[in-house]
Amino acid sequence: MKRKNERAITRVVIATGISSVVTQLLIIREFLAQFQGNEFVIALILFNWLILGGIGTLLARWVTRRLWKATVNRLGWLSFVLAGLPAAQILIIRQFRDVFFIHGSSVGFYPTLAFTFFTIAPYCLVLGFVLPYSLFVIRTENPDYPGTRIYIIDNLGDVSGGALFSFALVFLVTPLQAVFLANLPLVLSTCLLFRVSSRHHPAVYLGTGMTVAILAVGIVLEPASLNPWEGKLVFYGESRYGRIQVQQDRDQFTLFVSGNPLYSNQNLSIAEETIHYPLAQLHQANNILLISAEGGMMVELEKHKPASVDYVELDPQVAEVQFRFGLIKKIPGLKVIHQDGRAYLAGSDKIYDAIIVNLSEPDTFQLNRFFTDRFFALARRHLSGHGVLSFTMKGYDNYLDEPQRRKLSSLYNTVTDYFDNVLLLPGQKIFFLCSSQPLRTDIPALLAKKGIHTRYIRGYYYGNLTHERIERLTALIDPTAPKNRDYSPQLIRLMFMQWFAKFSASPTIFIAVLGILCLIYLMRIRAEEFVLFSTGFTVMGSEILVIFAFQIFFGYIYLQIGMIVTVFLAGLLPGAWFGDRLRYRSKQTLAVADGLLIVLMGLLIIVLKQGGDYLPVAFFLVFGFAISLICGFQFPVALYLRGGDAPAVTRTFSADLIGAACGTLITNVVLIPYCGIIWAAAGLIGLKLCSLIVMVVLHEKN
Amino acid sequence: MKKISRRHFLYCGAGLLCSAVQANTFWPFCVEAGAAAGPADIRGRVFKGDAPQKLWKWSHEGFFYTKLDNKRVRCGICPNRCLLSPGDRSVCRSRVNMDGTLYSLTYGNPCSMNVDPIEKKPLYHFKPRSKAFSIATTGCNFRCLNCQNWEISQTKPHQVRHYELFPADVVKTAQNTGCESIAYTYSEATTFFEYMIDTARLARDNGISNLWISNGYINLKPLLKLCGVLDAANINLKSFSDAIYRKLNGGRLQPVLNTFKTLHEQGVHFEMTTLIVPGYVDDAEMVKQMCGWILTNLGPDYPLHFLRFFPRYKLDRLPSTPVSTLVRFRKLAMAEGIHYVYVGNASYPEGNNTYCHNCKKLLIERIGYFIPTYNLDGNQCKYCRTVIPGRWT
Repeated sequence: MKRKNERAITRVVIATGISSVVTQLLIIREFLAQFQGNEFVIALILFNWLILGGIGTLLARWVTRRLWKATVNRLGWLSFVLAGLPAAQILIIRQFRDVFFIHGSSVGFYPTLAFTFFTIAPYCLVLGFVLPYSLFVIRTENPDYPGTRIYIIDNLGDVSGGALFSFALVFLVTPLQAVFLANLPLVLSTCLLFRVSSRHHPAVYLGTGMTVAILAVGIVLEPASLNPWEGKLVFYGESRYGRIQVQQDRDQFTLFVSGNPLYSNQNLSIAEETIHYPLAQLHQANNILLISAEGGMMVELEKHKPASVDYVELDPQVAEVQFRFGLIKKIPGLKVIHQDGRAYLAGSDKIYDAIIVNLSEPDTFQLNRFFTDRFFALARRHLSGHGVLSFTMKGYDNYLDEPQRRKLSSLYNTVTDYFDNVLLLPGQKIFFLCSSQPLRTDIPALLAKKGIHTRYIRGYYYGNLTHERIERLTALIDPTAPKNRDYSPQLIRLMFMQWFAKFSASPTIFIAVLGILCLIYLMRIRAEEFVLFSTGFTVMGSEILVIFAFQIFFGYIYLQIGMIVTVFLAGLLPGAWFGDRLRYRSKQTLAVADGLLIVLMGLLIIVLKQGGDYLPVAFFLVFGFAISLICGFQFPVALYLRGGDAPAVTRTFSADLIGAACGTLITNVVLIPYCGIIWAAAGLIGLKLCSLIVMVVLHEKN
Repeated sequence: MKKISRRHFLYCGAGLLCSAVQANTFWPFCVEAGAAAGPADIRGRVFKGDAPQKLWKWSHEGFFYTKLDNKRVRCGICPNRCLLSPGDRSVCRSRVNMDGTLYSLTYGNPCSMNVDPIEKKPLYHFKPRSKAFSIATTGCNFRCLNCQNWEISQTKPHQVRHYELFPADVVKTAQNTGCESIAYTYSEATTFFEYMIDTARLARDNGISNLWISNGYINLKPLLKLCGVLDAANINLKSFSDAIYRKLNGGRLQPVLNTFKTLHEQGVHFEMTTLIVPGYVDDAEMVKQMCGWILTNLGPDYPLHFLRFFPRYKLDRLPSTPVSTLVRFRKLAMAEGIHYVYVGNASYPEGNNTYCHNCKKLLIERIGYFIPTYNLDGNQCKYCRTVIPGRWT
């Protein structure tokens, strides 16, 4: 019976792992669709998730000792709750977004922090609680059951869940269908748990029925929960990159990507400006590269009679929907390429007369790659002698605020290294026109000479873009502003500043509170826990660094990035297995593992310094696997050194989670934007050195 | 007391729940669009203890305020009527109480100035084809979520780059740049009232017109004083719902309506602008009510501009307004009886042109800011001699 119970609990833990990772990925996507999708918000959601999980884990021991003894029955009910919560949680996030915030408005840092924290708190607390609780339940019958085994089993579920979502569910089903499918194993394993422990009470059937009903109701309510307030939803799809919706309001179609109204079929002014500003500079534009396009652009392009137009769109669904709803039309010579724009350029030999980058401002590391030194160098190599590169930043009406001025200065200083002439045109967007040939500002006259008819430019250009306005903008450029580089994304840092300025907020209070709490926590934990804290920090930090670096070298390739995320989880399993089986487990072993982590991070720095363009993809996969292997290895060793009893289990589990939470947040929003990728890696080495010193000092004391 | 049966109890309970559905009791699953959901009021608050330690050289004592006990003051410029203790800063961020005296911090230091076509304000019935020298300082008494000048309207004077341009310099610059008028615009001109009035007086003395581009959130006394030097105004009528005013703009409707009445009574030419925000202001019934109020209180002759909304500032998760909605509202407003209704920020040429309200012939053709066709003779229609409202020369 004892073995049967153990097996049943093991199945529940694996199913919980599957459910939790799928839920985590879905919740992140949901928040990104409801809130700003910048790196800060992404890091914030992950931070909240991990920290709440850590708190749940810490609570497990206290609750079990004082309130709730560990029983199979209770574990079963908790698992039902856990299986039903994700569906309710996603619906609540969608509903409450417009209850607490004004519909259609974006939300600042602190409200986002509070909303994400409180909406995911029930699920994350229970999730964090369940893992050690499962162990305690097993130990009521088998006191010698090793804590590491639960860690390994949980990781097995996590890896399966991650792979299931990234390689299957995201392509096939909607979020609430994914929740249904990912939680079925948990419902089934919980039923089996009750069955094995001989509980056939009608309440169990009721619980099963209710959980399945909640999951099913989620699917039923899903379409209604997505209905817009303005117009009607005529298309909804979940691509691997985000949520795609098309809203129709009378004769206007608006494409929303992850909740942002990106393109519409009635945005004539943007279409005209984006196409004609650069092409007016050319005598004849034969070959044009368009990185992302929006409503009306092809019509404007056609007026220049180009021989070929290569339209690169990362997400095939975005392009497909734009064609389907008439936002863009097919023109002669058009070739649609579904690839990362930068990766396409790097692999192409084609020379263009104009490269038009129609991307929004870089608030993510992925987008930032189109505004850096290396990208401009790449674009220059693919332009003909008279060719023009054009890209935009957010515009302003009458006053250029300081963060925007610094952003423009950084970009201007970066791009002038590769182009002799850079012209800035202010307006609803600020256009950067870059060429080796002189550039002219009298665009309506140039277009008239070419016989090209426009409606917006013809009527509004001279009133909106006066010489004074153009000159004043150029005069505001700060020549000392640091350049935006791949390895040191200045723009991301400035985007954060601007985001905070927009909401008249400052992250200072958050950082101060977080710092104090971290300090208190670090002062209260033991050396082994600190090792795990720093390892959790390093693993998450290095995962972010590796994904960041991978994108620089290879572009955004969904499946390969999914594989990197998977190997960062997959290494934990053999690592923990090996650490569990190792006979000689001492502080020295931990220190050696720390040393290996330092060596690996050092290796990453050398690779980045030497330029990772020549490395195979396998390097990043092996690196990720090795890092997580060591992390997995350290966990059982640290747990063994801490004694492996109930308090030790909860504290080591939570140290790992809290470290991971801090690593995510600090690497994403402080280390990379403020210090650059090399110094970020060096920072992680520094943290591991501290951990190593702690271990060595303690070892000598003992 | 009579007992009820279990069945009776269940019936009553079910009936009660059904009635509760009607009253949106099952919050939040019955959240409605527009004004009903989310925070109801985003009006600004006084910034306690936020005044600078020392006044800077551009500070100027306020024209309209009341001294109260304990060195407190009450600003009298706008309906916010900020009650400021020493060291406090007003809602608009431009006024502070320094030791019992109210100071404006923006006098003579505009942060933005440009030469704009007058059509850009938009003013379609005032000196067409002329240029306006436009100036703004920081500050606004509203908190519009879609503000297109939030970089200056939602910030404090010391947080921006600015020019030193006292009233005489403004007038001189306007003359040097060939502008026939000075527009007090971009942010909220009411918040730099003292600077505006002093400049406007000098401008009038030098034959330059004064344009007030505003949200119209001003008290009667300062408005009357302003009317004495004003030549034209464009006032935003952001919606015809107090709830939407509070939710999207952080203001109230009634004071704005009062401003329209006062301008009308004082004989100031003005034009009205309504931004059609999808989900909030794109309500035909509300537009009808608005037109009704205009016709009753102001008459049919003041031009009304319906502007297309684009996602801006904090209100950036809404689609832009469909052009057909603007066209529909234009037709609706004209059918209600308003003579001159325009469509802005959109590609709809007819909505930019002026047609005689009597003979319906094209008077002014506008392609953006260009006017290729002009069929007015003085202030009359060239075809039927009807007097067209506005100040044409």
